Amino acid sequence: MTTGADDIPQDDSLLAAEYVLRLLDPVEDAAFRARLAREPALAAEVSAWTTRLSGLDADVAEVAPRPAVKAGLERRLFGQPQRLPFWQRAGLWQAVSLASVAVAAFFAWQSLQPPQPVAPTPLFVSEIAAEDQSLRLLAVYDSAAGEVRLTRTAGGAAAGRVLQLWAIAGDAAPVSLGVLPEDSTAAVPLPESLRAGVAGLILAISDEPPGGSPTGAPTGAVLAVGQVSAL
Amino acid sequence: MATTEEIEDLIARCALGDRAAFSRLYDRTSAKLFGVILRVLKDRASAEDALQDAFMKVWRHAGRYSANGASPMTWMITIARNTAIDHLRRIKESVDVDDAADRLVASTPTPEQSAVAAGEARRITACLDELEQDRGAAVRGAYLEGRSYADLAESFGVPLNTMRTWLRRSLQRLQECMAR
Repeated sequence: MTTGADDIPQDDSLLAAEYVLRLLDPVEDAAFRARLAREPALAAEVSAWTTRLSGLDADVAEVAPRPAVKAGLERRLFGQPQRLPFWQRAGLWQAVSLASVAVAAFFAWQSLQPPQPVAPTPLFVSEIAAEDQSLRLLAVYDSAAGEVRLTRTAGGAAAGRVLQLWAIAGDAAPVSLGVLPEDSTAAVPLPESLRAGVAGLILAISDEPPGGSPTGAPTGAVLAVGQVSAL
Repeated sequence: MATTEEIEDLIARCALGDRAAFSRLYDRTSAKLFGVILRVLKDRASAEDALQDAFMKVWRHAGRYSANGASPMTWMITIARNTAIDHLRRIKESVDVDDAADRLVASTPTPEQSAVAAGEARRITACLDELEQDRGAAVRGAYLEGRSYADLAESFGVPLNTMRTWLRRSLQRLQECMAR
């Protein structure tokens, strides 16, 4: 394939290079991006040129931005500078409604269980929710069974994808608690090592290929996050 | 400069909404990204604005960076460069639009492909030096300063079509040289 005007074959590799360099005009750029979505070979060319040209990044001197830039960035992203994670941002009303839903769910679950002596064990709950509430699960930790019981109240996995549950303790890497079944309820064992620190544990759900993350760490988008707290 | 593994780990934590990790990621990488942006946008105020936009995209799209053998710094620098170029060309886009992230490598190269490309990357300077001086400068100008064909044509005093022919030929020779 050649263009009329010049004698360079306008092959896909060169087009990919021009795309990476932002040299295509808006119409060519849009056409290229439309192809990119359907042609893995073209995406591989983009990837190869991105890496090839990245060799020039070494020529760029580092310049420290003013500290005010970081403060401004955090304000733009997170609102007022505060150290609260976003799932705590919504405030007290949400905590109250969460608590009441959690209690209702706990008793609903307990009423299905055979009667057993009631021990004054603390109740640990978490609402694992997407920022836009498109996915929401309620988690209750059963310390006697060492299990997290989940009830999905909104959303689900995308077609051909699965939801995978992760637990994060402090600075440690996420630990997989497994792929969630399609049912709206599930019970997953919590690893021994995480049980003592269940209060404060962060639960997160990521979008993964069938069978779950192939790497042992989340590979897809993180769809919902929640923190476990004692009720 | 932080290690590749450290940056990858921080990006993974950002994907989980970890703000402390985001803060550390910023501390480790902002000087490099700011340097990249300043090459495109000479004006410091615009560059600071673009740096914030770039990091907002990093935070929002962290879940889409997957360790596929491509360097996490290349991923972040690509976001920074494209954001700076958007500012330079005054492309109106909300940071919610996935533009810069969508421009990124949509493919998952095999580790072999990544290794080959990374090996090639180290040869780029020598290969650019093999081109005539003007032509090497044009490639650098496009990559490092986000210069368009029209812009390059003007500064090299050649018609736009000639510039495009030059640059494509240079890229082709560059690719051949780097693959040697």
